Amino acid sequence: MKMQPWTILALSLALGLAAPAFADDTLDRGVGSEWSSLDPQVNFDAAAGWIQSDAYEGLVTYDGTGKVIPGAAEKWDITPDGLTYTFHLRAGLKWSNGDPLVGQDFVNGVYRTLNPDTASEKGYYFYSVIQVKGAKEISDGTSKDIATLGVTAPDPQTVVMQLLAPAPNMLELMGAFQVAPLHSPSFDKYGAAVFIDPAHVVSNGAYIIQEVVPQSHVLLARNPNYWDAANVKIPFVRYLVTEDVSTELKRYQAGEIDITYDIPLNQIEALKKSIPEEVKISPSTEVIYYSFNLTHEALKNIDLRRALSLAIDRETLEGKIVKGEAIPDYSYAGGFDADYKGPQIAEATMTQAAREALAKDLYAKAGYGPDNPLKLNIVSTVSEDATRRAQGVALMWKKVLGVVAVNEPMERKAWLDAFYAGGWDVFSDDLVGDFAGPETFLSYQRPSAEPGYNWVKPEYDAAMDVAAKIADLPARYEALAKAEKILLDDYIFAPISIVPNRHLVKPTVHGWAASAAGYNNSQFLTLD
Amino acid sequence: MLRFVGRRLWEGTLTLAALVTLTFFVMRLAPGGPFSKNRKISPEVLEHIKAAFHLDEPVWQQFARYVWGLLHFDFGPSTRFRDYSVGDLIASGLPYSLTIGFWAIVVAAMVGVALGIAGALRRNTPTDYVAGILGVVGIAVPIFVIGPLFQVVFALKLNWLPVGGSDQGWRSLVMPVLVLSLPNIAYISRLTRGSMIETMRENYVRTARAKGIGARRTLMKHTLKGALLPVIAYLGPSTAGIITGSILIETVFAVPGIGRHFVDAALNRDYPLVMGITLLYGALLIVFNILTDLVRGWLDPRARGNG
Repeated sequence: MKMQPWTILALSLALGLAAPAFADDTLDRGVGSEWSSLDPQVNFDAAAGWIQSDAYEGLVTYDGTGKVIPGAAEKWDITPDGLTYTFHLRAGLKWSNGDPLVGQDFVNGVYRTLNPDTASEKGYYFYSVIQVKGAKEISDGTSKDIATLGVTAPDPQTVVMQLLAPAPNMLELMGAFQVAPLHSPSFDKYGAAVFIDPAHVVSNGAYIIQEVVPQSHVLLARNPNYWDAANVKIPFVRYLVTEDVSTELKRYQAGEIDITYDIPLNQIEALKKSIPEEVKISPSTEVIYYSFNLTHEALKNIDLRRALSLAIDRETLEGKIVKGEAIPDYSYAGGFDADYKGPQIAEATMTQAAREALAKDLYAKAGYGPDNPLKLNIVSTVSEDATRRAQGVALMWKKVLGVVAVNEPMERKAWLDAFYAGGWDVFSDDLVGDFAGPETFLSYQRPSAEPGYNWVKPEYDAAMDVAAKIADLPARYEALAKAEKILLDDYIFAPISIVPNRHLVKPTVHGWAASAAGYNNSQFLTLD
Repeated sequence: MLRFVGRRLWEGTLTLAALVTLTFFVMRLAPGGPFSKNRKISPEVLEHIKAAFHLDEPVWQQFARYVWGLLHFDFGPSTRFRDYSVGDLIASGLPYSLTIGFWAIVVAAMVGVALGIAGALRRNTPTDYVAGILGVVGIAVPIFVIGPLFQVVFALKLNWLPVGGSDQGWRSLVMPVLVLSLPNIAYISRLTRGSMIETMRENYVRTARAKGIGARRTLMKHTLKGALLPVIAYLGPSTAGIITGSILIETVFAVPGIGRHFVDAALNRDYPLVMGITLLYGALLIVFNILTDLVRGWLDPRARGNG
């Protein structure tokens, strides 16, 4: 009797010895913790965005390297003033159920994103990041009429988008995950529940959703009605939830996952030695910067803010303390798009010794010293790299200047609210760009009074207004660089680093490329 | 008997009502809300989103709405997982947690009791020492150490079992069940051993032996029945805990159960999901306590009268 459980266990283990071979027709991709939504007009997070990019195709899409390529639209025309985009759909496009895919489906998708009833947070793409005619009015509920929206389908093969201001980066925003079409018949019949219902969901991407288990996985299968189905090589893609990065690494090592969501910080060095070809680390569109609270008397002094920025040895901080492969950064909006030649803070070209000497000088000039040290708190999230970084910065400030700084880690939601509550001296800040360009970062600070930095700078707003009217990208970048110079010169924050995308990719997966915006659609990958 | 159960259920309902009220208001004291973002969402849009989840109403009204929903078995929508209601999430996660919890309890009870009896019968022999050491190790080594260790040995080195997930049937269950049962095996074996030794000294056991009943029969029919009382008392509440899923087990083994939702929901200020899981946990705890008392009453006549 008492041996029974052990007997069962022993039997189980013995039977288990013959482990089933993993089917190699399925690409297993890690998505970290749970995706937040599979509703294409609601989803806002990047991990779910990968699933969406496989299941839905926008007018344009991204190739493996993050470059915009034609999607559902095979070509488009842009008027010289940069205000009207006319997309021409491919002939014979179909939804996964065989229904014809028409221009109006894209109009409906944009309308539903903006419709207050959808309660979607990402409508701001259409009224803030780019300004689509009529988008604001629909999003704030002043208009309910789809005809007032500047997105129209004059015929089934055409989609026209009218903008209020030129936006040369608009195509970057039109990738699948932001602007999916809506299959109205299935949505009208089943409501938003249709997007997680494999029996009824209708999509237009390279894959269709076949199985959804919350907290576990989403299984996708090739969509035979996709226009380029012949070139989609991998039959199945499974997105696997693994909240714990260490477990994800082990699942990768055991062959359960082909592409990981992340790499544990303390394993990066070892993995770079043992499997260097499989470690894929490349810059993302997320910048980390330490904001100074301009309502605090001491920090109103720009020399003091500059001293604090100078005292941070960014190379040592990211390379020896945080060790998460973040790239030391001396600008705010630069470093993402090679075509943007933005300004950098002066520290960029100084030696660390020179930086520290100047920092000490400015610190003393501001009236602080060993008997009268500056006292600061640094509010950060509780994530491992954020706390390591904050402690590292505090240490450098202590060592170079004698500043007494303490890290106050908070869980994420409290950290977000803490920013507006203002109980911080230094805020460990970060911003993720919607695409790999300077635009989203700089427009986030505009108008200067709004984002909560208590920085009022009419010159900056004026410079941004100039840039906003330019349709030609190189000229616009030049104007944006002038605006960024005004921003950086005031040291309202110290730029620290650019966060990397970190993945492990099995040697059996081909076609993986570094993509700053994080798009690596499965349709462009192959599997041995 | 029926009156006893009825009274306990009524008390349980009152406890749950207090739990709901307290959780509802205390949760809202934490800084941050479900829609805190570092994005410039226009205030109108944010209002629309809050209105969709009735977060724009005064708190007492939200509370009334929530209680009204509960009375209709509606736990509300999840704010973090927009595609699901709290009911959907629990329905999807609970079977995983229940399966692992159930087997963990079965393994823990059987192995634990067996080890305990072996230890008690062969006191101060190597068998006893081995059982004792196993017990101490099981209690002392935390799950987040044992779990990854098992993964390295059984999944990466021996390649017998998957590291995690839930897609390989019973093979996916083995490690989570074993790791979850370990500390419980330890507790149960220590409890059984102690209580066995004590019971063996009881008069009624000596009487049974004196009446000429065989050692084996005395053990099974008399000693064990008395000795298991404290084990049953321990199993009741811990079963509720184990079944609702060990948060750590589910995280380490990537099990899609409800335990993980608990932490995740609290961090994301998913108020309805926190409420739903707290309520479920509370209800299970109450039900298992009642069951424990019933079983104890059946095993021990002395416990019956005070019901």
